[in-house]
Amino acid sequence: MTIRTRQRLIERIRKRLLMRLAVGLMGVLLAMAAGATMFVFWGVYNVSALQQHTEPVYSLLTTALDRSISQRAREVDVPPLEQPSMSERGLRHYRDNCVQCHGAPGVARHDVGKGMTPVPPNLAHTARNRTPAEIFWSIKHGIKMTGMPSWQFIFSDEEIWDIVAFMRQMASLSPTEYQAMAANANGKPKEAEVSRSFANPERGRLAMYGYACIACHRVPGLVGPQADVGPPLAGMGARRYIAGVLANNNDNMVRWLRHPTQVDPLTAMPDLDVTEQDAKDIAAYLETLK
Amino acid sequence: MKGKALIGMAPLLLIAGCGSEKAPELPGDPVKGKMAITAYGCGSCHIIPDVPGANGHTGPTLERIAKRTYLAGVLPNTPEEMVRWIRAPEQVDPRTAMPNMAVSAGDAHDITAYLYTLK
Repeated sequence: MTIRTRQRLIERIRKRLLMRLAVGLMGVLLAMAAGATMFVFWGVYNVSALQQHTEPVYSLLTTALDRSISQRAREVDVPPLEQPSMSERGLRHYRDNCVQCHGAPGVARHDVGKGMTPVPPNLAHTARNRTPAEIFWSIKHGIKMTGMPSWQFIFSDEEIWDIVAFMRQMASLSPTEYQAMAANANGKPKEAEVSRSFANPERGRLAMYGYACIACHRVPGLVGPQADVGPPLAGMGARRYIAGVLANNNDNMVRWLRHPTQVDPLTAMPDLDVTEQDAKDIAAYLETLK
Repeated sequence: MKGKALIGMAPLLLIAGCGSEKAPELPGDPVKGKMAITAYGCGSCHIIPDVPGANGHTGPTLERIAKRTYLAGVLPNTPEEMVRWIRAPEQVDPRTAMPNMAVSAGDAHDITAYLYTLK
């Protein structure tokens, strides 16, 4: 056997081995993909809120959530939080909007906050374990798949910082102290909003998520349940009427978005407390849909 | 190779899962309804799938109208209510821009039957 034939033989064996390895690897990948597809299709994973994830899945999800929040919180500039007036205002927002899911010192969460997975955290605990920037980010942006909504179309950044300031104070309040403060804090109407003069369609697109528009309408450019409760909004910029009752122009669209039941008392579209600026931005986005 | 076969089956399972809905019994004739839609000119104001020339932008599109929860934003969508709306929209909602086209009861039933094929 010459050296050359031996080399050729070795080369051939090497190629064959590599081929087998590649085929085997492909087979394993395909089997894994098939397994994952079937896992989803046959509904293997129990989505019941009372069937908690297994410990490893829970840890993985919690780690992903913590990392996601802390990475994004790095971009947040934290203002001074020490002024008493801030936490006074924050207390009112907290009492009126947070207690139903999170509870407060000595105050039970309402029923809506009980059977949830993940369970809405006790915020006195959160205030002790999270940075102000992380808390601010979570309130402003909300957290997917947890039940925590984004509050940025309901509260201004300043109001969210008020809530953060109060939460930090709350972490050292006794139940008696909290309840006395909450009972004395008077509800105050929301401060007049500051309207910008220009409309921002991209912000309007985000606002359509913020006001849950996609729960009822199909909107091009937004991912959602594609529900046909109301009409699809494709081509809305070219539509001649709004809701079949108003000529489609910018002023009328803003009016309709803010007070649909005043425009048509029979409509199933509810008043969602859309601010003027948000309505302008949403109208600007809808106008782009030709 | 077993993995490949399973992947191949996946789309079949999807199709099988979706086809089981039962259509409600409707009194009208969808074929006549489609002709009536053309005759009454509904398409000058509405986009209506599979009706030639029906691409108006005055009112909302009627794509998937059978799946719509509300008619004209005010009526729960049932065949009876759709007939009522088509025949006398101004009686349902006095503010509507949709005109009364003097649609006969028979035509309204046929049109409803056609619109209910749009899913």
